[in-house]
Amino acid sequence: MKAHDWFIEHRLDFVARALDPGDEDLFRDHMARCEECAAAVASAATDLRWLPMAAAPVTPRPGFSRRVMDEVVGPRKTVWSRWSWPLAAAAGIAAVLLGGLTFRQATQLAALRAERDSIVSVHRTELAAARDTLSLLQNAERVLTASIDMDGRRGGMLIFADETTHRWKVVVHGIPRAKDGMRYTFWFITGDGMVRGAVVECDETRPGVVMLDMPPGATLIRGGALTEEPMDGDPQVPRGKELAHLEL
Amino acid sequence: MVTREVVTPEGRGPGQGPRLLSAEGEYSYRSRLVARDERALAELVDLASPWLLGLVQGMLNDPDESEDVVVETFRVAWDRIQTVDSASRGLLPWLLEIARNRAIDRLRARRRRGRLGERLVALGSAGMATPPHVPDEAGRPGWHVHREVHQALTELPPEQRAAVQLAYFEGRTHSEIAERLEIPLGTVKTRLRLGLGRLRERLAALKDWVT
Repeated sequence: MKAHDWFIEHRLDFVARALDPGDEDLFRDHMARCEECAAAVASAATDLRWLPMAAAPVTPRPGFSRRVMDEVVGPRKTVWSRWSWPLAAAAGIAAVLLGGLTFRQATQLAALRAERDSIVSVHRTELAAARDTLSLLQNAERVLTASIDMDGRRGGMLIFADETTHRWKVVVHGIPRAKDGMRYTFWFITGDGMVRGAVVECDETRPGVVMLDMPPGATLIRGGALTEEPMDGDPQVPRGKELAHLEL
Repeated sequence: MVTREVVTPEGRGPGQGPRLLSAEGEYSYRSRLVARDERALAELVDLASPWLLGLVQGMLNDPDESEDVVVETFRVAWDRIQTVDSASRGLLPWLLEIARNRAIDRLRARRRRGRLGERLVALGSAGMATPPHVPDEAGRPGWHVHREVHQALTELPPEQRAAVQLAYFEGRTHSEIAERLEIPLGTVKTRLRLGLGRLRERLAALKDWVT
């Protein structure tokens, strides 16, 4: 018996896998080199290929097909799960953007409210001042006026004196802005001399308006005067040029 | 030939159930699997799982482990369909071969670990018998093949059938069969060779049935 006869004799055994492990390895090695045996084994395997069908079928347990698909090709993604990450990401981005937008809008809204409140406050102040001025103008028992000529321009000073509230409204208009280092100052003329009232800021286009209470301690108010004073120091008596002088 | 009496030239025996896979069906499945068509795999799983589970469960006698083997079989098939010439034996026989080899590997691993226990003792007497034949599922695809193969197996002499059963369906080697049946090794080889030879003659005609 030749060595090859052993392989010929055991071809079907190899197909059935009845060879002992060592012999099976030996046969497999031989087939890799022997085309004849390889072809014969393939032919026998083909002829016997339906032999496993001798076993009766077994109905798979519920969910088995799904398990196979999940383990072989991976869990099937539902429409939701397939898009869940992109949707979640989009929702997250939208939330961040919306949050940012909301925060920005809230910030802007707060700024606008603050600006509105400021404007309202200013307007209220101005309105109150206007009402006060109107009230003073309506109730003024005396109105004094004086002309001021400066640099070829003619302006003037008006004093509305409210004897009831003891307040004066002084309006300076039509004169240029005070020179550099100088400022316009209104003085009360009293029985005790000149008493400083207030600094008046104005120029050709914008009249200066000040509302003044009577100077405390003054016994007799006789009138008012406007001077141009140096800005340095805080003079208690007028030292500069007198521009207007009004007596009650 | 006996098979000619059962199988018509059109490929279906009189009064038999539907064929397992036509040649066109084989080609279609293979092409779709190569193209990674998951639906084709799902259809194949539905079609082949009962037969694969039947084979493997009969060998392992363990439903859970049998399912693992069948899952593994489909995984191997899915991975190798592009590189392996499964057309030479047909798609389903290829799957059956994979499943059977995997089951045998597991059986031998069990034996090596000496964890056969009562399970294989229980299998001992059953191993001598023909695989159980379920009453009738003529509507199931492949039922006709099962009936033909089962019939061929039952027609073998009992001693040859036992040798085939122990070797082919239980993965036992010559030596193990000899020990189990308490007969000489040469006798085992002879019985097995005769039995497989007869089956080969009997079943060879079936290869033209689906391809």
